[in-house]
Amino acid sequence: MKKRMLVLSAACAAGALVLTACGGGGAGGSADGTVTLKLVAADYGDKASNSSTVYWEDVAKRFEAANPEIKVDVQVVNWNDIDAQVKTMIQSGNVPDVLQTGGYADKVADDLLYKAEEVLSPATLDNLVDTFAKAGEVDGVQYGIPFVSSARALFYNKKLLADAGVTEPPKSWADLKAAAEAVKKKNPDVVPYALPLGPEEAQGETLIWELGNGGGYTGDDGKYTLDSEANVETFQWLRANLVEPGLTYSNPAATDRRTAFADFAAGKAGMLNGHPSLIQMSKDGGVDYGVAPIPGKDGALDSTLGVADWMMAFKDSGHQEEIRKFLDFAYSKENTLKFDEMYNLMPVTEDTLQEMTSNGKHKDLEPFFDLLPKASFYPLGDTSWDAVSAEIKKSGGTAVGDDPAKVLGDLQKKAEQIAANQ
Amino acid sequence: MSSNVTSGGRRPPRSGRSGTRRSGLGRLGPLPWIGPAVLLIVVVVLWPVYEMVRTSFLKISVSGFVRGWAGLDKYRQLFDEPDLGSVITATVVWTVGVVALTMVISLGLAQLFNQRFPGRRLTRWALIAPWAASVLMTAIGFKWMLDRTAGVLNTLMTDLGIVDSPEDWLGDPSTAWPWMMFVAVFVSLPFTTYTLLAGLQTVPGEVYEAARVDGAGVWQTYRRITLPLLRPAFLVGVVINLINVFNSFPVIWGMTRGGPDSDTATTTVFMYQLKSSDIGESAAMSVVNFALVVVMVAAFLKVSRWNQEEA
Repeated sequence: MKKRMLVLSAACAAGALVLTACGGGGAGGSADGTVTLKLVAADYGDKASNSSTVYWEDVAKRFEAANPEIKVDVQVVNWNDIDAQVKTMIQSGNVPDVLQTGGYADKVADDLLYKAEEVLSPATLDNLVDTFAKAGEVDGVQYGIPFVSSARALFYNKKLLADAGVTEPPKSWADLKAAAEAVKKKNPDVVPYALPLGPEEAQGETLIWELGNGGGYTGDDGKYTLDSEANVETFQWLRANLVEPGLTYSNPAATDRRTAFADFAAGKAGMLNGHPSLIQMSKDGGVDYGVAPIPGKDGALDSTLGVADWMMAFKDSGHQEEIRKFLDFAYSKENTLKFDEMYNLMPVTEDTLQEMTSNGKHKDLEPFFDLLPKASFYPLGDTSWDAVSAEIKKSGGTAVGDDPAKVLGDLQKKAEQIAANQ
Repeated sequence: MSSNVTSGGRRPPRSGRSGTRRSGLGRLGPLPWIGPAVLLIVVVVLWPVYEMVRTSFLKISVSGFVRGWAGLDKYRQLFDEPDLGSVITATVVWTVGVVALTMVISLGLAQLFNQRFPGRRLTRWALIAPWAASVLMTAIGFKWMLDRTAGVLNTLMTDLGIVDSPEDWLGDPSTAWPWMMFVAVFVSLPFTTYTLLAGLQTVPGEVYEAARVDGAGVWQTYRRITLPLLRPAFLVGVVINLINVFNSFPVIWGMTRGGPDSDTATTTVFMYQLKSSDIGESAAMSVVNFALVVVMVAAFLKVSRWNQEEA
């Protein structure tokens, strides 16, 4: 009897607490004029336990505790859907305040974004690694705020190369071809060099090879040079020296990066261009891998392809002050370090880069840290890049087929057309 | 009081008006009854069609911003696509090829299932399987069975000595097309066979008896009696398959995504590919597709009327 009374009174007390809590929350929201920031971010996790929701909600909670007048509404979207969802948000006028995703320049074209200096304190702005800050510029004004980065390097299977008598990783294209031939001779079942030019990321592999020949997507004046002589020559070389002799996949244009990564992690590929996420995959697959600079036509490159994901702030709701407070908080060393370590990604801020290179916990990433300051990028600041990139993904890979000059020429025509329509 | 009077005074003409309205309603006939259905068609068919056509005249940025009127630019852009010619050729070959193969094989299958044999009920049920399974699922299933490194079909063919080493069937358009057509025929067979089987069962036994009495051979009976009497069912099968196969998206998207480039794309898949770079141009492709389907439906109507006259 006594026990039941106790339970009853406990239930009453709990009920009362819940009620007052609800009442308090409701009254606070309407009365004191708090501002709610809408944050939309991409999900870097691959399961519920390491979803980016966990990270962002923690950041939001700590930020709200320090800034009671600002609430942060976190919405994390997976990579497959985020572009379409953001598009819908913009079209329907439900624009986020802060967005973290893969590209920013297309939004600049429609004048939707704050400049970086408008929403970052000078200290935070200064702390960004220069190459990345530069890559966030459109016509000399920075809009894109780098968030995380990654760089490419040549991964090779030490055992496969050693078995074939190749003692050191290839430095030039000729070395790479010789190594691939040796691997094929010794072990005909593996893919000597994995060349993924399928729609998943043809624009990446293409640029890496073109850089090796002094080519690239744009010239000094920022205009597209997709069919430059150096680029055509690059694909002619690939076709004659890797594809036709069977030293890579038989249909590179239909082979996606994830296939190449999976093959390498299963010990079925000798060499490929990879980024840091391949480190863990290789370890899981028990592959003894090595990392070397990207081979160029005449010798190893001292730069590489750098890739960054971006943060941006929308002008729509006019919450400039609140956004600045939030971004300064999110870009503190504590938070960026936590995110980079959570997903084994590369930092874009000086203090975190310093910390990660010196704290000894990231030996795996060391070859990549060296590459970061010298990284080359896609023409991210070009507002037409997203559309051009989509075209390269779709048909760029077929340039290793019959007629590189024609494929690249068609692409160049399309790119010029897209740029003219901007 | 006065208001009462006025309203009273107006009563007769009002009742007269309501009388004409009733006759108006009467003239409307069944319209009020089919109204909800019409409304549904307007909302889920006509309005999207209008939106699709309107989008094809708009300039829309990659970020989803509508930048204004594009006039006929998107159509001009579409017809300038270097791939469009080969895509249309591929669509014609694909549609005609798959439908022709499906019809020929289904004729044989229907004949087989029309015979009495032990286990007929079971095999008739089994034929439903490819139909009951989701087409996308079937396509993805075949994609993995044909996978270069792990595909079970590749392993099987290597073990049987049909090929020397596992091949990348879906990466090369010249081998991807036949495989995709095979899958498309595979998923079209059940419906077509059942249609023809139903047709075969409407042919009265006496006709065959009469033919036998007149001394007609097997082939002659089939050509002169079965085929002509099967024509209505055959035509329905052809036309429905034409539309289905023309619009067939899951088989191609599930197996090759139309790639490399647009080398294994039909116009439907090509429209989807265009979506990633230019929504306006993609909508223009949709409009062209829509026109092609309308032409096919018109052909169907014509054919079915001709069919009625024959019967």
